[in-house]
Amino acid sequence: MHIHKYEKIWLTFGIGCLIVFLTVVGVSAFAAGQQPPSCLTTIDPEKVDTTPPFDQPGLVKKGKNEYELNIVVAAFSFTPNAIEIPKGAKVTINVTSKDVIHGFEIPGTNVNMMVEPGYVNSLTMTFDKPGEYTILCNEYCGAGHHMMTARIKVVE
Amino acid sequence: MAKPEWTKSATTIRQTKKEKEPALGGTLASVFLLGFFIIFAWVSVYFLFLHRL
Repeated sequence: MHIHKYEKIWLTFGIGCLIVFLTVVGVSAFAAGQQPPSCLTTIDPEKVDTTPPFDQPGLVKKGKNEYELNIVVAAFSFTPNAIEIPKGAKVTINVTSKDVIHGFEIPGTNVNMMVEPGYVNSLTMTFDKPGEYTILCNEYCGAGHHMMTARIKVVE
Repeated sequence: MAKPEWTKSATTIRQTKKEKEPALGGTLASVFLLGFFIIFAWVSVYFLFLHRL
């Protein structure tokens, strides 16, 4: 089969790019442990208010500089909706929904998850920069979706 | 009479073959323009993610 010289060049280039991209993603996922923030922990969405840790949502100290932030998400609010976090804290955020699918995004950071009823989604984030952060719902969830926000304050 | 005609047609075939090689310079340029754009976009997003870790 005759293949034009240029075709050989761009086929090699394309296949090479694919290999490089998949290697980077594969190493991140399997060697560096970058996993999606969901899918393993389940919860009964009707019993969120009585299931620990969501029966007492909020920031819980778990170790030196390690925290757990449990947030219950429901139309159209985050509970709690004003959180203070000490600067430099390594926070594992656990979220779950009581009704429909919501989003949980802190703009300007890597925190961005779906919040699905029946599942607990978790993500660990170190808050190194003091300041105020906004939590947004980024999945359309109903009439009050655009007002669904919460604030995080990172203090010294 | 048959020989010159045969020679002539062979030359014509050779010429047609030469002409049929397509000019792919523009395609190559387009492929690489798009390719470099995709690489630039991918690398930018990846480093943004790493920076925010």
